[in-house]
Amino acid sequence: MTIVEPGTMIVSLVAFLIVFFIIYKVSYKPLSNMMEQRRQHIENEITTAEQGRAEAERILAEQRKLLEEARRTANEIMETARARAEKQAQDIVEAAQAEAARLLEEGRQLIERERAEALNEVLEQVAALSVELTTKLLRNHVSEPVHEEMLKEAQKNLGELVS
Amino acid sequence: MPQHPFLFSGHWYRVDLVTVAWTLIAGLILIIVSAVVVRKLDMRSPRGLQNWLEWAIEFTQKMSRDMMPSAAGARFVLPFAFITMAYLFVANWLGLIFTWEFEPGSDIPSLGLKAHVKYSLLNSPTENMNMALALAILVWLVSHAYGLRHPLKWLKQYRNPMAIIDEITNPLTHGMRLFGNILAGEVLIEALLRMPMLFGWVPTGLPLLIIWLLYSAFVSTIQAYIFALLLTLYVGHKDFNVDHH
Repeated sequence: MTIVEPGTMIVSLVAFLIVFFIIYKVSYKPLSNMMEQRRQHIENEITTAEQGRAEAERILAEQRKLLEEARRTANEIMETARARAEKQAQDIVEAAQAEAARLLEEGRQLIERERAEALNEVLEQVAALSVELTTKLLRNHVSEPVHEEMLKEAQKNLGELVS
Repeated sequence: MPQHPFLFSGHWYRVDLVTVAWTLIAGLILIIVSAVVVRKLDMRSPRGLQNWLEWAIEFTQKMSRDMMPSAAGARFVLPFAFITMAYLFVANWLGLIFTWEFEPGSDIPSLGLKAHVKYSLLNSPTENMNMALALAILVWLVSHAYGLRHPLKWLKQYRNPMAIIDEITNPLTHGMRLFGNILAGEVLIEALLRMPMLFGWVPTGLPLLIIWLLYSAFVSTIQAYIFALLLTLYVGHKDFNVDHH
């Protein structure tokens, strides 16, 4: 009896091979496929996540830029509006001052004219009264030469008044 | 050495029935367990046994990547190494779990059984030298089949004639190492079980048996790993692909 048994060897090898191929088909293939699939899935997910992050960062930067721009524009608008409002206020004040000055001037002119008119009227009345008075006085006391001299003086005075 | 019933007993081509039967049963256990795992395969949240199997695959994957010179070779050897390791793990443990003895009572000549001889009906298949050597020869054949994809490079490795000695010693030690370790474990378990009891009832062998069982379990696991490791190494020696990864 030898220890080496080719029969056992071959039959057990065949048995092992049968078992091997059944395990390979039934268990190993699906398991390793699944693991490969998972590996790819994880790889994809990582890639997608990285892309998503880059995208998010890009969008964030864009948003920040837009916000900055919006803020600047708003500031500009505010500045312009303020400048315009100030200018308008100034205009209004100026216009009001001008109006007030005009009204004042008008009032002054009116007063001046009225005063001149009133003065003229008074002068006319004075002239008329003085002529009347002079006439009454002269009828009694004045000779021919005096009369003439007085007329001349009156004319001169009237001239001064009128001019 | 445990006695086994044989088919064609007395002939040179006799077949050890226990070894063949447990070769198939070990495979069956592995097939059933892994089929249950595969049926409930979950890519997103692996549970229970699936984690163990995945861990084992990743472990083998790492091992073959370390041992094989090319990525293609690592891919080639991975299923072989993984299935062999898982199979040997189950097979090596089988003989440790319980023993099963059988005494025919009368001669059964067709199976070579004699009355009043105790036959062991449960042993690890790897405890049989022929089965272990057959596995080693399978590895040898696979490694050469893989190496012959590049015949010139395959031939060049024999410029040093010592490589021819390697071709004989490698499969021999590969198989013998597995067989010897497992056989030693099981023979000693058997011997310890037969140890006579003190005063007829004190199981003096029990503490020794427990220690030896734990050690054998360790050895069984390690041997499954070593067999797969040497398998990748031997196939790696014949991997003449050039893409260094």
